[in-house]
Amino acid sequence: MENFADKYGLDARSSMIMSQYVGMMPLFKRMEEVLSKELEHFLAQNNIYVTALETRVKTEESLAGKLDKKGFKYDTIFDLTDIVGARVITFYTDEVDKIAAMVDRIFEVDWVNSIDKRKMHQLDSFGYNSLHYICRIPKKMFFDPQYPEINEIRFELQMRTALQHVWATINHDIGYKTGIEIPVEHLRNINRLAGMLELADEQFSAIRQEFNDYRRRVQELVSSGNFNDVPLNGDTFRSYLELRPFDKLLKKIAAVNQAEIHNSSVTPYLNVLFDLGFKTLGEVDRMIHENSEDAYQLATFQLAMTDLDIISSTIAIQDLCEVYILKHGGGVDALTEMFDKVNGKSEGNSMRAESVVNAAKQLSFMNRKKLEK
Amino acid sequence: MDVTITKNDAKTFVVLNGRLDTTNADQFQKDITPLMEDPAPDFEIDCTEMQYTSSQGLRIFLMLQKSVSSKGGKMVMVNMKPQVKEVFDITGFSNIIKII
Repeated sequence: MENFADKYGLDARSSMIMSQYVGMMPLFKRMEEVLSKELEHFLAQNNIYVTALETRVKTEESLAGKLDKKGFKYDTIFDLTDIVGARVITFYTDEVDKIAAMVDRIFEVDWVNSIDKRKMHQLDSFGYNSLHYICRIPKKMFFDPQYPEINEIRFELQMRTALQHVWATINHDIGYKTGIEIPVEHLRNINRLAGMLELADEQFSAIRQEFNDYRRRVQELVSSGNFNDVPLNGDTFRSYLELRPFDKLLKKIAAVNQAEIHNSSVTPYLNVLFDLGFKTLGEVDRMIHENSEDAYQLATFQLAMTDLDIISSTIAIQDLCEVYILKHGGGVDALTEMFDKVNGKSEGNSMRAESVVNAAKQLSFMNRKKLEK
Repeated sequence: MDVTITKNDAKTFVVLNGRLDTTNADQFQKDITPLMEDPAPDFEIDCTEMQYTSSQGLRIFLMLQKSVSSKGGKMVMVNMKPQVKEVFDITGFSNIIKII
């Protein structure tokens, strides 16, 4: 048996704990596996996205160091609560609470030994903000007759935000590297920084909340059809597309040749809509209604004499934009610009634009326009 | 439809010659099967001598494009005759496949 008393200068009791640790290593490894798998499963099940999920078994050196400093507190390996540890690092502060609630439901929490370091500060101090739970794996979650102690041994679960993690890591690094007590003036600087990170954490959560509220309001407006009040942007356009505003025209175009429709994203046309000066979904919606018949005419003119029986779902918005541009005085240059924007620059785009202009000359909407003049 | 495939370093050059229609679409699909199996596709398809493509041809190009996109690769069709390009344009396929 390894002599830990000589190796690390430990007393007999701590040395015995070290021997227990080495003997139980397969169990700790198994426990770590279970913990990692279960946490990953429950985070996914609750749709909680985290920046990191880390698990570890305490190293021999680290345990020896701990026993050297605080060995008097422990009689056996079962008194230690952090041989196996897990850390969940979240994006936002409110997610720490959400994970804590989840942990409370799935593990057996040892409340006497769990610490909410976030609540330990004096009113005039800042610092290490983290939530530490001491837990056990309940038998209903996992039981292995080969390792019944897995349900007895406690583990430590740390929950913190990414910014809290930055603070803790740097603070640990400074303390560890210097190995001396940090002078008061430096401590003040560290605490100022901690305060700033705490404020930043709060602000990130608040901004996310505001953004989610905004998105919900916009989605309500879109689904209720109040498009005039909804500004046009990537987010609102995506919500609008869920109402499938181009479907009616698309199906009509497809019917020309009984064509199959291949679904493809129309979001590249958002920049075209911006360029055409659309500022609200109401304006886009009106443009669709006012130009669908003419866009259908253009598509029919181009497709009817062919036997092409597959079209891209982008064809509806493509034809609508072409018609809108032509009806508003745009010509080859404006159409070329549109094709350059959507398909990438190419010499063929101006030829394509000319072809559309020539086709439109033969259609009623362009001739109507001439008569109106 | 004649298909010539040559590889130069990481890039694959495909030269198409002739008409692509229902009579030769199956053979064309077989001819380009090696391209589908390329794990890191970077294709330049030269259409200088391509006279026409039917819907069947569009479907095969679409299948190839999907295969390329799923592997994060690149595919570009070059030197397309106006009558061939028109087929891609009026079906909206120019929005899906890069043509220069």
